[in-house]
Amino acid sequence: MTATEILIDPITRLEGHGKIHIFLDEAGGVDRAFLQIPELRGFEKFVEGRRAEDMPQITSRICGVCPTAHHMAATKALDDLYKVDPPAAAKKIRELVYSIFMVEDHALHFFFLGGPDFVVGPAAPKAERNILGVIGKVGLEVGREVIAVRKQLRELMGQIAGRAIHPVFGLPGGVSKTLSPELQSDLTAAAARAVEFGTFALEVFRNVVLSNSEYVEMITSEAYTHRTYYMGLVDRASKVTFYDGTLRVVDPDGREFLTFDPRDYLGHIAEHVEPWSYMKFCFLKDVGWKGFTDGAESGVYGVAPLARLNAADGMATPLAQEAYEEFVSTLGGKPVHHTLANHWARIVELVYAAERMSELAADPEILSSEVRTLPTATPDEGIGVVEAPRGTLIHHYRTDERGLITKANLIVATQNNAARIAMSVDKAARRLITGGEVDEGLLNQVEMAFRAYDPCYGCATHSLPGQMPLIVQIHDPGGEVVREIRRD
Amino acid sequence: MRTLVLGLGNELAGDDAVGVLVARAVREDVAGAADVVESSASGMALLEIFAGYDRAVVVDSVRTGRNPPGTVTELALADVGRVVAPSLHHAGLPEMAAVAEPLGLGFPAKTRVLAVEVLDPYTMGAALSEPVAGAVGELARRVRDQVERWASEGPAGE
Repeated sequence: MTATEILIDPITRLEGHGKIHIFLDEAGGVDRAFLQIPELRGFEKFVEGRRAEDMPQITSRICGVCPTAHHMAATKALDDLYKVDPPAAAKKIRELVYSIFMVEDHALHFFFLGGPDFVVGPAAPKAERNILGVIGKVGLEVGREVIAVRKQLRELMGQIAGRAIHPVFGLPGGVSKTLSPELQSDLTAAAARAVEFGTFALEVFRNVVLSNSEYVEMITSEAYTHRTYYMGLVDRASKVTFYDGTLRVVDPDGREFLTFDPRDYLGHIAEHVEPWSYMKFCFLKDVGWKGFTDGAESGVYGVAPLARLNAADGMATPLAQEAYEEFVSTLGGKPVHHTLANHWARIVELVYAAERMSELAADPEILSSEVRTLPTATPDEGIGVVEAPRGTLIHHYRTDERGLITKANLIVATQNNAARIAMSVDKAARRLITGGEVDEGLLNQVEMAFRAYDPCYGCATHSLPGQMPLIVQIHDPGGEVVREIRRD
Repeated sequence: MRTLVLGLGNELAGDDAVGVLVARAVREDVAGAADVVESSASGMALLEIFAGYDRAVVVDSVRTGRNPPGTVTELALADVGRVVAPSLHHAGLPEMAAVAEPLGLGFPAKTRVLAVEVLDPYTMGAALSEPVAGAVGELARRVRDQVERWASEGPAGE
């Protein structure tokens, strides 16, 4: 049994490192392939015995990219733990902060992480597929504006939430600070700029990506298409929402399959374990685990921007709704199964988050002094769910009567996507390994597929995008590793 | 001339905390001569931190597998690109510098990177491993020395 020689590129621009396992069959082709995403190592043990009230600060340090998502999920888990309902003003302030976060995070990803694949072009030399290439293609003004908007938003975040990177403002039953009229007027101005920026990002996408038939072909190609279920939070009108709502699942034909209170997640989401790895893959309990396959019989589902747009009936704000309609009609109707469309969906969401920020900034209730309901119940168990930029994020804590953690479970966004990501890797791997022949260029396909998911390895390892080795392990049919290859 | 000391890392993740801990260790000592910033941010998100400084020393963890844990390597920005290492944070620096220039963002003209080889940067809640804990003193000393050198060179300094 000979293992094929495989040259790989490092996965650039992702948080963390990736490991791909390729299992060969007797003929030297691919039997199956998986992308292994590192999990939180030792997290549950680490938080045992700690105060649940500290979890918004502790968990926000899990990831340097999306600390606000963890902070918010943890804060909501505390609301549930202490059975306390925050005052309306507090919820609005939280959602305002969260909207700011979604704008700047989506902007970061599109221009710096996913953007280079698109804006510069799949055929562009590797050296150009980075932010410099993006700026070169769309102009210096764009680059300056991206950074300026992010800076402005993060400064505001810092003022409201204490710190831009690790917010300190969520409390069980509310938030720690009220907002001043001066801050409100700054927020209003920033929101207007964010909305402009969002529509401008859409323009960039239209001009550079949609007008190029090569891109569109790539986006809609079978190589990047998986027909699965999709899940996301929706509001009462079944529109996309990030901070709070009901979890909705649609089937591969777009029909509503399930809606549930996020606190019932254990009744609907289960984890499948592959015997050869510690990695766990989420799937829908109501459908069952049928393997890494597409279709209505398989419990595999997707989360994150594309999934959210599929799972909802539309966007709650006007410009975003327009963008959503363009998105759906251009891609041939819902649900959109093309993984690369995540990049476009991300911008539609950016526009929504900016418009939502505008709405909330203009709401006089955010100036209220009633921003906290003091908890009085004895803590026991709490679950908090938000839509992180990369998908549904679940925090689940059990405590003793003093509020010390006895058990904590986190399902980070990317875990929901783990099976679907594995399938994308598998699809690409099959194309690059046939009878021992490898096409190195096709490795790009693998990277592009999972960059579209914007997977967060950072939740487990916290690392910086840059030159990361992609480790590929080739297993013979017996499961033995016969070859390990890394580019370094 | 504005000087930045930047400690990069995740303080929850074992050896990955080292950059942050070194920054904390030197904060008081370099007060007045440099701004000390801790960050677990990554890549381009750091651009905003660097902008506006003339000189920067960055402390960070690396895993090259080529040196024993605790080994400290000092690099100029120009060297970073050539270090094709599974660095946890600093691999994005050359890209950042290249972006900052055309955007007129004022990236530091001089950047030194102090990279320490780590053992386990992945386990949540773990303390620094022994060899890495042993390197904190040396790292702090080298940061203070660099800041002092720059301070004594003055505005016209190299």
